[in-house]
Amino acid sequence: MPAYTLEIIVVCTGLAMLLIDAFAKLEDKRSIAWLGLLGIGAAFLLLFKVEPHTAGVEPESAFWIFYADDRWALFYKGLALLATFIVLLLSAEFEEVVRRHIARPGPDAHPQAGLGEFFALPVFCCAGLMWMASATHLVGIFVALETVTISFYIMVAYLRRNAGSLEAGVKYLILGALSTGFLVYGFAWLFGATGSMELKAIAAALRSDDVNTTAALFAFALILVALAFKVGAVPFQFWIPDVYQGAPTPITAFLSVGSKAAGFIVLLRVAQPFLESPAFAEKTALVFAIMAGATLVYGNLAALPQSNFKRLLAYSSIAHAGFLLMIVAAAPKSGAPDALSPAAAVAFYLAAYLAMTLLAFIVMTVVRTRQDSEEIAAYRGLGKTSPFLAFCLLIAMASLAGIPLTAGFFGKFFAFALAIRAELWTLVVLAAVGAGAGFYYYLRIVAEIYWRDPAHEDGSGFPIGTPLKIVAILLMLAIVAFGVFPGAVLGLLAAHS
Amino acid sequence: METTLTLNHFLAVSGALFAVGFAGVLLRRNIIVIFMCLELMLSAANLSLVAFSRFHIGADGAPNYDGQVLLFFIITVAAAEVAVGLAIIVALFRSRETTDVGAFTAMKN
Repeated sequence: MPAYTLEIIVVCTGLAMLLIDAFAKLEDKRSIAWLGLLGIGAAFLLLFKVEPHTAGVEPESAFWIFYADDRWALFYKGLALLATFIVLLLSAEFEEVVRRHIARPGPDAHPQAGLGEFFALPVFCCAGLMWMASATHLVGIFVALETVTISFYIMVAYLRRNAGSLEAGVKYLILGALSTGFLVYGFAWLFGATGSMELKAIAAALRSDDVNTTAALFAFALILVALAFKVGAVPFQFWIPDVYQGAPTPITAFLSVGSKAAGFIVLLRVAQPFLESPAFAEKTALVFAIMAGATLVYGNLAALPQSNFKRLLAYSSIAHAGFLLMIVAAAPKSGAPDALSPAAAVAFYLAAYLAMTLLAFIVMTVVRTRQDSEEIAAYRGLGKTSPFLAFCLLIAMASLAGIPLTAGFFGKFFAFALAIRAELWTLVVLAAVGAGAGFYYYLRIVAEIYWRDPAHEDGSGFPIGTPLKIVAILLMLAIVAFGVFPGAVLGLLAAHS
Repeated sequence: METTLTLNHFLAVSGALFAVGFAGVLLRRNIIVIFMCLELMLSAANLSLVAFSRFHIGADGAPNYDGQVLLFFIITVAAAEVAVGLAIIVALFRSRETTDVGAFTAMKN
């Protein structure tokens, strides 16, 4: 089975969800979400049945210029599918809040009118993410990135009667469209400088002598601005806190995991030709190093005074982007190719980030559904009222802070190892300061939930549904398993090379 | 004196278009105007793509059509972006009755 079957399955699932929403008379529209879970789950299982395309054996089709099905692509497709699966579960849980904040078209309309698209959009977004993982041609990268971004515009602004959500939607729209402008202008110049849209041909052109260095560097700068917006790197991070805070909670989870992973896939694919070319490697790595340093300092220090949990996680996502950029900056000088490769370190970090962030957002969604608040104060005494949720948060925060025996520790460990091997000493110091600050603001949450008395004295906890509970347990197991045996994930990446 | 249009002429116009668009996004206060400026930036990219495509003559004497293919995708995506964007702006206008970006401050910490 070729890899692109998966994208076809996901798109068809999304279309089926829209059609059922439009034509079937459903008692409870959450069944649309269950259908989506079925399709995404099936695609995830089929991921292990994919037979990679072998170059040169079958008659070459022009399709393989646009599409790669190497292990990186498959790994990121898996991440996208997992993230979408969990986000769909969260959206079903969040149904009540969405219903409160969108207008019913009429008194006799379905009580859940306008909810079907809320479940279908993440599925389309997932198809875009999966295509992006495979795109090797600038046209493909552009279209996939825009599929993701435009679905996010709608999802962020989905709560039409909520000022915060609308405002977040407009901010994301303007800044997203701005970064699109930079991206296509950069692509145009890259095409002009190298005469090709294929990443392989671009890499070859950049290594040759007859490329116009100034034009290529200009293109790189424009593309970098656009991708820095997407991953939330300083100085293009300013939209993140507002948009994360205003968006519906499950969508914030998707944004912080999906959008970040997508940004880094594209960044790695587009930056690689520059980082490998002797004429450009030093200049581009320096830019990445400066950006990584600024992002680490800003993200970690700005997170310290936050009192809103969602905003705190927004700054934390900026901080994690800093660690990921540190890996990219270390790439050209990271030594022997047989050792840990920068691409593997980025993939591991993103997988760990996915598990711990989604775990935190599961707790946040459950709390937000029952209690209309996202302030840290609302989590006081969670350890007494809902021990399970409190334990989930404990694991998530420990991993985000990077405590040993969790996945987050090895993510940071690999980042430090590569930066030390590349002798980026300033960056290592800044990252160490950032990680130290991280301990303070993540563990402050743990202190709030275990050592403070509950805000409300009725002692009632927050019930959590069985499917979400199973997912949360699996995520906790994954965090600890990756933290004890990091080789398992790295082996997965090396397995079918 | 006879002059011919070279690649640089097209790139200069496209660069100016991009700069005007970007300046508009930064300076204007009306969200509809900002949105128009964003479209200007995309047009600048389109102009560059066509110019590069026309001036990259391949071995067979034909222009490199890759650039023009991307252009069609950009136009399509821009249309989708406008459809979604205007819908969001209309929803915001209904709740705020203003298009001034300075009024959107619900989330200052």
